[in-house]
Amino acid sequence: MKVSFNWLNEYIDLSDYRGKIHSLASILTNAGLEVEEIEDQALLYDSIVVGSILEKKQHPDADRLTVCQVSVGEGVVQQIVCGAKNHKENDKVVVALPGSSLPNGLNIQNTTLRGVESSGMLCSEKELGLSEESSGIMILNEDAKVGEAFSSYQNLQDVFFELKVTPNRADCLSHVGLARELASLLGREMNLPKVNSGMWQAKLDASLEVENLDLCPRYACRTIHNVKVAPSPAWLKQRLEALGLNSINNVVDITNFVMLEYGQPLHAFDLAFLEQNKVRVATAKAGETFTSLDATEYKLDGSELMIYDGKKPVALAGVVGGLNSGVREETTDLFIECAYFVPQTVRKTARKFGIETDAAYRFSRGVDPANIQTVLDRTCALIAEYAHGEVSGDFVDIYPNPIQTANIPVKLDFVEQKLGYSIAADSWEKTLEALNCHWRKDGEQYIVKAPLYRHDISIKEDLVEEYARVRGYDDVPEHMPNARGAPKQQSDIFERARKVREHLSHDGLMEAMNYAFSSSTFERTFLGNKDALVAAGLEFSAEPVKIQNPLSEEYDIMRTSLVPGLYKNLLHNYRRGQSHGQIFEIGFCFQKQQNDYEQRQRLALISWGEKQNLWQSDKAPNVLKLKNKVERLLYYLGLRGFAWDTSKPAPDFLHSGQFAYLKLGEDYLGYIGSLHPRWSDKDKIRSSVALAEFSLDSFSRHKKTLDKVQPLNPFPAVERDLVFIVDQLLAAGDLQNYILDHFSKVKKIEVFDLYQGDNLEKGKKSLGFRMKIEDHTKTLSEKELTSLQEEIITGVQEKFGATLR
Amino acid sequence: MLDDKLKELEEASLTAIAKAVSTSDLYQVKVEYWGKQGKVSLLMREMGKMPKEERPEFGKKVNQLKTKLESAYTEKESSLKAEELSAKLEKERIDMSLPGPWEARGAKHPLSQVTEEIVDIFTRLGFSTRSGPLIEKDYYNFEALNIPKDHPARDMQDTFYIDQEHVLRTQTSPIQIHSLEQEDLPLRVLGPGAVFRVDADVTHAPMFHQMEGMFVDEKVSLAELKGVLSYFNKEFFGSEVKTRFRPSFFPFTEPSAEVDCSCPECGGSGCRLCSFSGWIEVAGCGLVHPNVFLQAGIDANQWQGYAFGMGIERLAMVKYGINDIRLFVENDERFLEQFS
Repeated sequence: MKVSFNWLNEYIDLSDYRGKIHSLASILTNAGLEVEEIEDQALLYDSIVVGSILEKKQHPDADRLTVCQVSVGEGVVQQIVCGAKNHKENDKVVVALPGSSLPNGLNIQNTTLRGVESSGMLCSEKELGLSEESSGIMILNEDAKVGEAFSSYQNLQDVFFELKVTPNRADCLSHVGLARELASLLGREMNLPKVNSGMWQAKLDASLEVENLDLCPRYACRTIHNVKVAPSPAWLKQRLEALGLNSINNVVDITNFVMLEYGQPLHAFDLAFLEQNKVRVATAKAGETFTSLDATEYKLDGSELMIYDGKKPVALAGVVGGLNSGVREETTDLFIECAYFVPQTVRKTARKFGIETDAAYRFSRGVDPANIQTVLDRTCALIAEYAHGEVSGDFVDIYPNPIQTANIPVKLDFVEQKLGYSIAADSWEKTLEALNCHWRKDGEQYIVKAPLYRHDISIKEDLVEEYARVRGYDDVPEHMPNARGAPKQQSDIFERARKVREHLSHDGLMEAMNYAFSSSTFERTFLGNKDALVAAGLEFSAEPVKIQNPLSEEYDIMRTSLVPGLYKNLLHNYRRGQSHGQIFEIGFCFQKQQNDYEQRQRLALISWGEKQNLWQSDKAPNVLKLKNKVERLLYYLGLRGFAWDTSKPAPDFLHSGQFAYLKLGEDYLGYIGSLHPRWSDKDKIRSSVALAEFSLDSFSRHKKTLDKVQPLNPFPAVERDLVFIVDQLLAAGDLQNYILDHFSKVKKIEVFDLYQGDNLEKGKKSLGFRMKIEDHTKTLSEKELTSLQEEIITGVQEKFGATLR
Repeated sequence: MLDDKLKELEEASLTAIAKAVSTSDLYQVKVEYWGKQGKVSLLMREMGKMPKEERPEFGKKVNQLKTKLESAYTEKESSLKAEELSAKLEKERIDMSLPGPWEARGAKHPLSQVTEEIVDIFTRLGFSTRSGPLIEKDYYNFEALNIPKDHPARDMQDTFYIDQEHVLRTQTSPIQIHSLEQEDLPLRVLGPGAVFRVDADVTHAPMFHQMEGMFVDEKVSLAELKGVLSYFNKEFFGSEVKTRFRPSFFPFTEPSAEVDCSCPECGGSGCRLCSFSGWIEVAGCGLVHPNVFLQAGIDANQWQGYAFGMGIERLAMVKYGINDIRLFVENDERFLEQFS
């Protein structure tokens, strides 16, 4: 909310803060009313002064420019080149001197325009930030004093605060309210406007009926006759415009002025349009329509609180007035409404229709129900003064059940315990009084009642805060807590992610983080049919989780996989010259389950390109290198005995000949593979891309600690190599597993050579295996080794149709 | 006669030793002169031709010569070995400016680093991490936190909706409620995680991260909360920073405070980082509102608590001087590798 210092100063003497605005700002900030911005008009118009044009000549070299000699006071005359047409000699004008800067940010300097020196600028209203549009420069009254600061001439010597008012402090959404807050904080007196309503004689020319007292506990009105609707006086216009409101006419402006003054929104109806001169407050009829001031039509569902005249709806209570009954130029008689509507009802209606008005904002935060009459009279008095109306001596004020704030019982030692420091009774009581709280003592207990405008103070904890706030939070000391009870277990979701992250980042991968939402179109296109992904052990629901109000199409669902995001990261990096890289992400993927939603923590990895290496040419395919990283991670996490299964179909976005599912026992935990060439072609990626995705939930399910340590074999192990020629399609892993499973003396086996080329029969390849052989009971003799080797060869030949090379 | 020959051999062999340029050369000299078939040994055999009485004298000379040659040999050998070793070392010189075989450098995402750092600080105070659903029930995100429907506090956070009952959580505070409902008291929990608000510009992202903290015991005070957060600020930003509380409003705490830390960049004198205020906003906090306990079925007369929430992106931006929040999700390697 924007607040004027000068206006505040009318209700509480702050003149001693005029020169130290920042300390006033920090008093507000430290009381929980954060000053976000300070706008000092004097600074805004620094070095901008009133000048007088002594001489005006045509520019020798430019038809559209004039060269003016301008007196700027104290005998100083500046030559200024000007492009406007509306000035003449002896005009009083606004001069921005060299070194000044205009509110629009333009810096004024000595310059030369088409060969003529120019020292300053003659300004237009637009350039001075005083109007949206202006034709020509601003010409001042003849009596303007040459050399006077423009801010002083224009009475622009105010300071504005932009205040962040938290939702609980509706009482500070006005100048009087804020003055009252400062009065509490500074211990000063307030000076409020006085109204003499006793002299009003006119007849009250309307009747009032409130049907829903539960939604409208208080409604007061007066009528005003023979008003002259006209433009507002300059001071009123200026005040409203400075605070960001448009000036409309004197009547509407006065209601707005009072709203900014007291925080109470008011509505002025044209009495001539209120049928039967009647106002009725009631909930809407379902199906009825209502047209607001700005000609928008709303269809009502029956829950809205409305203002009706004798027949039709004339306002959405507390939200917006109707097109059919507002004040216009011809209006002569007014019905002034001043009411307290229940905050929730106003908020609900305003939100439902998406209407944001200053009135709805204040009503939905809660206005002061005690203040209704004061504000009504203040408004009427101002209308009488500035629109020459005759105010009704009678008024109606329907308030059968006065609103009360609670009696709050609180003991001082409770406040002390909650704040952590001791408090003198005297200081406590003075603070309650500064806050205008009523209090009495009942034994040890204080019974405290907050004023109605502080409806946010309803329990003893509120009083704890109020005491600390008024005294200053700086008084709160810093203590270390005594923690009782043992620390509890850490979240597995956090811990396992941390462990995976720790390992992978040390193993050369970079961690990425993407939004948890994604594009339904891109996910559908990229992931394709999800059956294969489900077969690989990842969970998906039939439909992704949709966001009702997404930021854009790009983020319209909750992601179902981490891979599309990582693929986009790859494209981002690849297109910026990163020819190789490997990144991973740990994050949640989402699915719908009947009426609920599930999130699953996953890990995905992507790697692309190859780093040119000085020492060895790295011919390993990317997908096998990534598989290596994954296996190292699995060992690090204590997941042993895993296998890679290629017997199932490949997901759509993977190369059908370069992929595998990760399997542990009977469980599938995810997949790895190379990107389908369809995608690398489409996105012009000229190197191989490998990607993988796993379920971390499944990882946790399989987590195993180390089995008991195996005793070391005292007998030496021997290495033997065997090279077989086998079918091209035979997986080396199958052959390895066969040997390990059938020959217990073979402890380890690995592929040391792979050859597929011209020297071999078509459809064949040669695989070299190195085996580590040992026996726990003896050193194996050459004879035993040879016979074992022969058994292996025979077995492999029979099982796989292999031949020894 | 033999004496002369011996003399000749002595001269010749010493010269040959001196001239040897390698250890293998030198060994050849040994073989030629005093090996088993060497010239000195052969001369020894000719001793038979000498008169008997001269033989011991001659034999002695020959042995003397052998000893002399051995020592000359040893000396030469060690000097040759030294030369050869230094030649070998010279030959094996490696250009140490060359790289080793290339290995990729990995990095944790800066937001992970900051999250882990915060967790580590609070773990030392006995807090344990908790996690909660990102698609949260309206009840947990709002109502259980004392934000009823049609309460103006709902305007503080623009919410993504999934359906009538579910939202993308706008804060990590629902994690508090899950703990209160499920766990025994006293309790000290931390809830790191993603939160969502309908907002996107240089300093606002539609998804960002928060760290929730809650401490529940029979008696807790605002002073202890200030102590804990002051400890955090010192651990995270440096021991010289100061902590300031400012009154604020959160529906689920009373009293509530904004937590400021004196600017770690300028020490409080004012700079761009702190927008010339000398202070950096780091967290929101307060004592748990009794309505929150009530909703969770906890006796607010027996138990008290405090809670705090901090923005992880904000802390990372302050700590690393990052001024565009979008860098965190672009995942540009040039950005990420700076954190390795």
